Amino acid sequence: MTDRLAALLATLIPGDADWPSGAIVAPVVAADLAGVEAAVLAVLPADFAAGDEAAVHECEVALPAPFERVVTALYIAYYTDPQVRRVLEARTGYEARPPQPLGYELPPFDDALLDRQRLRAPFWRDPDKESA
Amino acid sequence: MLVDPPIDPPVDVVIVGGGASGLAAAWRLAMRGRSVRLLEQGETIDQRAAPSLGPQWERALQSRFHGNPNIRRLPADYPVNAADTPIQPASYTALGGGTQRWGAHFPRLRPGDFRVRSLDGVGEDWPIGYADLDAWFDLNDRMMGVCGVAGDPANPPRPERPMPPLPLGPGPKRLAAAFDRLGWHWWPADSAVATTPYGERGACNNCGPCGVGCPRLARASADLAYAGAARAAGAIISTGARTLRIRAEGARATGVDYVQGGIQRNQPARAVILAANGMGTARLLLASASPDHPAGLANRSGQVGRNLMHHPTAMVTGLFAERLDGHKGPFACVLFSQQHIESDAARGFIRGYQFQAIRGGGPVQTALGGYMARVPWGRGHHADFERIFLHSVSLTVTAEDLPEPDNRVILDPVLTDSDGIAAPALHYRLADNARRMLDHGIAAGAQVMRAAGAVDVVVNPFVAAAGFHFLGTARMGTDPGTSVVDALGRAHDVPNLVLVDGAVFVTAGAVNPTSTIQAIALRNADALADRLEAA
Repeated sequence: MTDRLAALLATLIPGDADWPSGAIVAPVVAADLAGVEAAVLAVLPADFAAGDEAAVHECEVALPAPFERVVTALYIAYYTDPQVRRVLEARTGYEARPPQPLGYELPPFDDALLDRQRLRAPFWRDPDKESA
Repeated sequence: MLVDPPIDPPVDVVIVGGGASGLAAAWRLAMRGRSVRLLEQGETIDQRAAPSLGPQWERALQSRFHGNPNIRRLPADYPVNAADTPIQPASYTALGGGTQRWGAHFPRLRPGDFRVRSLDGVGEDWPIGYADLDAWFDLNDRMMGVCGVAGDPANPPRPERPMPPLPLGPGPKRLAAAFDRLGWHWWPADSAVATTPYGERGACNNCGPCGVGCPRLARASADLAYAGAARAAGAIISTGARTLRIRAEGARATGVDYVQGGIQRNQPARAVILAANGMGTARLLLASASPDHPAGLANRSGQVGRNLMHHPTAMVTGLFAERLDGHKGPFACVLFSQQHIESDAARGFIRGYQFQAIRGGGPVQTALGGYMARVPWGRGHHADFERIFLHSVSLTVTAEDLPEPDNRVILDPVLTDSDGIAAPALHYRLADNARRMLDHGIAAGAQVMRAAGAVDVVVNPFVAAAGFHFLGTARMGTDPGTSVVDALGRAHDVPNLVLVDGAVFVTAGAVNPTSTIQAIALRNADALADRLEAA
């Protein structure tokens, strides 16, 4: 069962030279799903192997709700995995750290950006004036 | 026949619900010298230990901070039957309520929103107007701590904001320039976010995920703004206390039955305030049926639960070749446009909609799609992911819903919470007018994205997860035959029962309602304090 789950996850997120495949988070996904994946795996062919997207498409059509749960659990586990986050940082510059406590720097709001909008006359409707 | 539970010492006012409206009302009444007890079924959250401090913050956003109670399933949550609505509920159960989970976008309803029938011949007029709330808006802004810029031509004048607006960042800056290029309105949003130190709250450091709480306390929530002040004024705030029913004898509410720590008790009070949001308030009124009120408390009109309004939402996302770093900065409250918020018959619908800029999310949210479609699985997954991540900015199309009696909250005949109280069941259909509004907004939003330089535009024509706002289910009015409460939130049938949340809205406007809800709560609480003093 674990091998079949790993093969399914590697089909959903294939690895390449940089990115690891989804199989690296199979234990986390299995723990999160707590058995939900069994029905999905049961629909796959007996000789299912990683990369067989046609078989997975059939599974998605046959069992849309549990399949969606598997994909959701995979995406959560994969994109919070430290190894994946290091790849993400190397490829995009998105730092592999939590948002806090450092936060991020942004330049303050530039009030001059409102110059054109400040020229506009008020355009909200005043019901008291319209009924007068 | 109800069994009489043990009775607590009586108070002037018992408040059911510790969210945006209940906490504001508790503070106001306590400040006015009234004895107050607030019952909140959720627990207190220590935002100083928010998940954004750790590596699993996005997992928290998809689990215990998920907006949908049917997915989140915290012990304090009640289930919602959402099988007969295309809009799934998004709420939160804790002290602070939905403001624990919100984006802190803080617009006000506009003067015309209170006169929809007079101006446009649809919906109903409110028995109050913008001027009745003006001072309460300002007071609430000071309590919540609002940043922004005065002078917006789309709204009535308001005082200078106590703090400067949030930084735009690259994506929203592009949108602002695009709105200018098109000659359309935009303005920095009023946001309940501290951009400079504000009392005990630190300044925002642009970390991004406001929805898991703010360890710097920069993003306001109702508990931060009001709970401490209410306690200091003498209010008793009880968490983990779930209200089971409101008790009434004839036309007088006598208190509430609640359960805390597995023990049922009764809290007697001279007045009862219901502040459980437009879904929970309708549910509790209906669940408080008695021989004197067989159709539910305060429901002689049959209007309790009816006229449910949301803000139907579409999402237009621009993908850009340049990096926009949408993970930097509060995600949902940087700028808005009210270019199409007023009625224009040439557009093919009545009333209007607002655009609200949404920055990008973290990696998990990007992969799952957020309010868009999820990134496809398979061989192209990483290429698709990298095309979107850090390269997108979105506009919501937030449409005004109009009241329809068949859009409603009822009690589910089967589903219950963990204490056996019937769960709410939502019945809702999207109106053709709202659909046309969303379609117009999608086309206009795509126009903005192209003017901003987007290389691709992705549309979610209807955001199913956008059930943030529950409005209109116990609306105010002057006619007891067609409304549930009067202009001060007093139930027509039970005048010492006061409603202060979004249930009392007559129409929904096209803007986020929290600022208006809290202004109403403060006003209604103040009027109740007057009456209690006079008595």
